Amino acid sequence: MATPDYAKIGFKCGLEIHQRLKTNTKLFCGCNALMANGDLVTSLERMQRAVVGETGKVDFSTSFESGKKRTFIYDAYRNTSCLVDVDEEPPHNISKDALDISLTVSKMFKSEIPDELHIMRKEVVNGSDPSAFQRTIQIGYDGSLLINDDSISITSISLEEESSGIVSNEENSVKYNVDRIGIPLVEIDTGPDIKTPQQAKDVAYRIGLLLRLTGKVQRGIGSIRQDVNLSIAGGARVEIKGFQELDVMDQVIDNEVIRQQRLIAIKNELQKRNAYPGKPVDVTDIFSSTKCKVISDNLKGGGKVYGAKMPGFIGIIGAELGTNLRLGTEMSDYAKVSGVKGMIHSDEDIPGYGISEEELKLLRTILAMGKDDAFILVAGKADSALRGIERALERAKIATKEVPMETRNVNSKNLTTRFMRPIPGASRMYPETDLFPISISNSMMEAAEKSVPNLEEITHRLSKLISSKTLAEQMLKSQELQLFEELTEKTKADPNFIASILLEKFKDLRRNGIDAYSIEDVVLESIFSRYAKGDITKAAVEEILKLLPASVESIDKIIREKSLKRITGNELEILVKGNFNFSDKGKAMKDIMSKYRLNIDGEELNKLLK
Amino acid sequence: MPAHNLKSMCVIISMYSKQVEESISNANASVGDEIELFDRKTGKKVHGTLMPKTEVGDPNSIVLKLSTGYNVGIKYTDQKEIHLISKKKEHTFVKPELKKKRSLPKVVMIYTGGTIGSKVDYVTGGVYMLTKPEELLGAVPELADIADIEVMPLMSIASEDMGHEEWKKIASAVVDATKMNAHGVVITHGTDTMHYTAAALSFMLHDLNIPVVITGSQRSTDRGSSDGFLNLASAVRVAAQSDIAEVCICMHADSSDLKCSVIRGVKARKMHTSRRDAFKAINSLPICYVDSNGEFEYVGKYRKKTQNGKQTSAFTNMEPKVAMLKAYPNSDPEIIDYYLSKGYKAIVIEGTGLGHAPTSTADESHSWSKKVKKFCEAGGIVAMTSQCVYGRVNSMVYRNLRLISSAGAIHCEDMLAEVAYVKLCYLLGNFSVKQAKEMLVKDITGEITLRSEIDSFM
Repeated sequence: MATPDYAKIGFKCGLEIHQRLKTNTKLFCGCNALMANGDLVTSLERMQRAVVGETGKVDFSTSFESGKKRTFIYDAYRNTSCLVDVDEEPPHNISKDALDISLTVSKMFKSEIPDELHIMRKEVVNGSDPSAFQRTIQIGYDGSLLINDDSISITSISLEEESSGIVSNEENSVKYNVDRIGIPLVEIDTGPDIKTPQQAKDVAYRIGLLLRLTGKVQRGIGSIRQDVNLSIAGGARVEIKGFQELDVMDQVIDNEVIRQQRLIAIKNELQKRNAYPGKPVDVTDIFSSTKCKVISDNLKGGGKVYGAKMPGFIGIIGAELGTNLRLGTEMSDYAKVSGVKGMIHSDEDIPGYGISEEELKLLRTILAMGKDDAFILVAGKADSALRGIERALERAKIATKEVPMETRNVNSKNLTTRFMRPIPGASRMYPETDLFPISISNSMMEAAEKSVPNLEEITHRLSKLISSKTLAEQMLKSQELQLFEELTEKTKADPNFIASILLEKFKDLRRNGIDAYSIEDVVLESIFSRYAKGDITKAAVEEILKLLPASVESIDKIIREKSLKRITGNELEILVKGNFNFSDKGKAMKDIMSKYRLNIDGEELNKLLK
Repeated sequence: MPAHNLKSMCVIISMYSKQVEESISNANASVGDEIELFDRKTGKKVHGTLMPKTEVGDPNSIVLKLSTGYNVGIKYTDQKEIHLISKKKEHTFVKPELKKKRSLPKVVMIYTGGTIGSKVDYVTGGVYMLTKPEELLGAVPELADIADIEVMPLMSIASEDMGHEEWKKIASAVVDATKMNAHGVVITHGTDTMHYTAAALSFMLHDLNIPVVITGSQRSTDRGSSDGFLNLASAVRVAAQSDIAEVCICMHADSSDLKCSVIRGVKARKMHTSRRDAFKAINSLPICYVDSNGEFEYVGKYRKKTQNGKQTSAFTNMEPKVAMLKAYPNSDPEIIDYYLSKGYKAIVIEGTGLGHAPTSTADESHSWSKKVKKFCEAGGIVAMTSQCVYGRVNSMVYRNLRLISSAGAIHCEDMLAEVAYVKLCYLLGNFSVKQAKEMLVKDITGEITLRSEIDSFM
């Protein structure tokens, strides 16, 4: 496919980067900020309701959520949650560490820092916060980032509370874990001046790099999130969330551009055909003894099936918007919000669903369908089926008018995006009345300025520590940079070995289903210390990592049980001289290593055999 | 109300420094207008909506709401200029309408203020008391399906600012409500002193034949997570549907939003500064629980409505000269002399343990018994309760108990200290000192129980 002329199609793109900070406590309470949970203390069941805002109206995205009438369940754990996290105690004073780091970040992007910071409450309607709002502070504005001679505006830098992680999503309730809630994170927003998908990726990489250079950010899955805002002329602003791999960002953006272009084409075609969605009709009776499993499963517990005719939609509901993505997918995703499993439409293989000729005929009659009309069917519990088909029809109606503004999720398999929810209006924000504004003193500003990391200096330092140029470069861009520096400093182990473990061995293990990234920093430190002291060999280090030790004590256990103690010095000499034939050094080396691979350092043995 | 909402209660007035106020008015700008702050030296501009200054923060920092919704404070100096961009747009608030269903039981809602009646002003960011209690009903529309609600706005104050005068007004309002043939009364109230008001009404209201349900919230109702929604709905349910003929408190039973407990007014106490389940039944079981589906579960004893046809009346005289003291190690009882000299008629002591105050102390000046004796001999009443909160006091188990008791202190059984205080105000306001003394340890309205239920602790 030819690369489009992005300027010509009105491509507008900006990023929102969220990065968790590495602090001892959460932003507004004394809880552990590193998600080391401990025991489950309680599970709270809460209800939230949309409250009327300043205009007396509840905005669309709010009502979309509250229409679900769900209960929110919050699991709280011993070390990571306190009364503040579950909306039972006013916030404590702000974490000084988090404030200092965010000021440094603001300075890094040459942002203006307000003389007085005001803590705000940003309304949250999906239940992810027990208080129904998230605390956030504007730390910087009017900043910029120079990337390959292009200046990208950094419109806003804020310090905010992390929301809670979803555990499960049932029809009438959502369960969250509040361990994450309140962990400090900085949000960095660029202006909409990114020119190409490639540039979006470059900017995301660069911002991530700069943040990691501060040495004060968390690493690992979920510790950094990149959201993309984009639109094209005639399309609409879409917010894309959930990038697991930064590498595919440009492809996802390209596919989203295609999706919007096709939706525009669909809109034009539908208008030409005077297409419109019909009204929902209860067609449950038709399917009372159906062989269609999708429907009969739903009818078992007193469910219903609703159908609607779709004049002018034939061939269009099934039209592709991308790989495995059709207008039908979009309609179905809207329907699913009400709790139904999905939608059947006439552009699909209807006999394949087990719907009989007879049933189809009856359906056409009851829906009063013309020859060229399409139809949709939604089955589910009585009220969710009706709400579901209404939502699907609403999406079809939008298709005749415009591309909707939506928050969408990356589908990492197809590199397309899937509907999550309508885009929220400008978040309602009002001051946190439980906390005072914070005056930023000159000394705080100066300290922030001083702690801005120097990219050249760090690059130089890495090139001295790591002899492989590729590995050094890789380390600079890696999430493990901070850990690498800490381990090198604290354990005095060979930096080259640490780098190869963190960058290569970890990836290797992950490919084999072993998540070495989950090993705690202190445990890694202990492993490398033992290596540096000569207690274990390189091979033993790798062996220990494979077993994912959960604590320093469990390293001892592994060493004991797997007999991983290094054989060195006299002990090695005795072992070698007493047991192996020295005449063939090559063979001796091979024999010894095949037996004691994990216990003997090859170099040492080599010297001994010389 | 919790302290964290208190400080921001009345901050709508702007508190900029004189210099800033002048510059704002010279620019013909006022709070809510869109302005631009121009720095002559750097040429930089910041654009935003001018916000009021609260009593906290630097009075020389101009607070602007940026287009992102964030507020920032920017120091005003001589090199800055304020430019008016546009005057604020007045927006009209769509007033929530409450549908009335006359066929439903009539409930009079007496509005007194507190967190449940406070909300954030989205323009200024301050928290203020609702002046139109109907707004509260708008936030809980399902109330219209439970009862035919008549709102009676009485006052709009925080409960820590309430005193005897407010109790009298509320009691009279309840009497008025009974004359309006209300099936029940709901009183919205700040939580800090809710249990004092509950006790006061319990004593003041005679021949009460309807539920009088006091409720409030620990989180203001403009927050989607407010506990006030369930509290209010449950309180209205109790008022409309129960046969309770007592003053009670209806608040969250636990930290989830699943049910409320209904606690006898003289057996309730705020036991936590900020949790939504702060109110607990002390030395008794709650009367009942009401869940979010409206189901009642009765667990404790209560007085039921009767057909005696008596009109409820309010005995609102209250003796102001009643004090509360806490006994603690090394405490100086001379404070009792002070109260005596000021003409105080009664003192409630929150004693230690079973109802002790320091008695046989090494330093004799720290022994309370002499001072207690002096106060009692002068005609005053000393009531002894326990700072343990839970449990019954006793005047006999230990020698020191017997000493303080023989000095004249009256041990008040399982009555809460706060209730003893309110009861003495009421007794001395309406009866002779002799009668008051006798009635202090007699149960009037459920404040003293003869049996300590085994499962009535924590």
